[in-house]
Amino acid sequence: MQREKTLLIVDDIEINRMILADAFQDTYNILEAGDGEQALEIIGRRKDISAVLLDLLMPKKDGLDVLRDMNRTGKIKYIPVFLITAADSTEMLLEGYNLGAIDIIRKPFMTQFLQRRVDHIVELYEQRNELEHVVKKQVEKFNRLNRSLVEMLASIIEFRDCESGEHVKRMSGLTKILMTEVGDTYPEYAVREKEIEKIGTASILHDIGKIAIPDKILNKPGRLTNEEFEIMKQHTVKGCEILRSMPNVMDRDIYNYSYDICRHHHERWDGKGYPDGLSGDNISIWAQVVSVVDVYDALTSERVYKSAYDSGTAVRMILNGECGAFNPKILKAFEKIVERL
Amino acid sequence: MSLIEELKQLGVNTDEAIERMNGNASFYERMLVKFAGMMKSSIVQPDFDCNQYADITEAAHAIKGASGNLSVTPIYRAYSEIVRLLRAGQPQQAKEVLDAVLPVQRAIIACIEKYS
Repeated sequence: MQREKTLLIVDDIEINRMILADAFQDTYNILEAGDGEQALEIIGRRKDISAVLLDLLMPKKDGLDVLRDMNRTGKIKYIPVFLITAADSTEMLLEGYNLGAIDIIRKPFMTQFLQRRVDHIVELYEQRNELEHVVKKQVEKFNRLNRSLVEMLASIIEFRDCESGEHVKRMSGLTKILMTEVGDTYPEYAVREKEIEKIGTASILHDIGKIAIPDKILNKPGRLTNEEFEIMKQHTVKGCEILRSMPNVMDRDIYNYSYDICRHHHERWDGKGYPDGLSGDNISIWAQVVSVVDVYDALTSERVYKSAYDSGTAVRMILNGECGAFNPKILKAFEKIVERL
Repeated sequence: MSLIEELKQLGVNTDEAIERMNGNASFYERMLVKFAGMMKSSIVQPDFDCNQYADITEAAHAIKGASGNLSVTPIYRAYSEIVRLLRAGQPQQAKEVLDAVLPVQRAIIACIEKYS
């Protein structure tokens, strides 16, 4: 009869495996392994193992080797492992616990007690795994909502700025690609994938401060006067003020990245940007990346005051320094990704 | 007399073992037959090399585990001591314990074989 739960029994002595199998066969599908190597092969292949009863001392790979491997693959988080041993070495048993064994059962064991202990732990793990699954789904949902909210905010700015909603999508996509390329080429700038995803979302809000800039300046067809440009520059600082008014609306990390990008995406590598005149790596790598992406997107898009440049011309202008100075490493990575676009 | 009765007289805690097997005496008897086979092919013999005995320690440890689960108490106690002595680097003393248990061990194995 097929059972819902599966138990893997690992012991080099057949008698021990048979006794355990007999004790659990009414409630579990039984799998057996005669050494650590076989056990790892089964653990790697099967997705339905509810628990492992693991002998400590075995030929080839012993119980501790099995635990080490399960730590390496992360399986130890989801599958409870009971060490069943006749060994007396406190050091080994302690190492077993440190490697994540849920319990240690001494031979000779009382089957009835062992059954209860295994059943309880398997039930707890099932509940925990189920709960983790639910939480993961909720977090995914929360992240989707978060992203929608950020995109909605960005869209409002774009409509005022007479742009289509495509700009934010391009900003986010290109920021993630460039962040990844920069990190892959220059390890000192490497950021974890999960963070890059957040930076991509945060980049969308880089121009949120434009909502506070008067229409006549924001949508002026011609060149801005010095006075008008000074007002326009304020969108970085105004954006931070807007973000400060809604710190709890979005995920904390996305908020922090948004704030930094919003304030510093017009800073330049040589210190000639605004609003703080930061230079070099005093500007965060994400703000530097968004700066390049923002300039590229502005050049290749049509605006009220200019027509769109083709990609090659835009890249050349950026590399020539016509749009201000950027981190040479980012420019190298940027050249590489533009070839692929 | 039955196998269980005879083993009791040889010091095997058959009641405890059968309880461990959820009261399944016939399953216990099958396990005893396997155990006898395991003991017949055991490399743990009194003439083992006192300078190289890692394999002997491993085999003695296996006997300790299996005999414990089957409550073959005289063998379990002796092999627990043998394993302890071998791990403590006292192979000569381990041999003495092995010599002492061998007659009982042979009697238990012979008894199981008689009924198998």
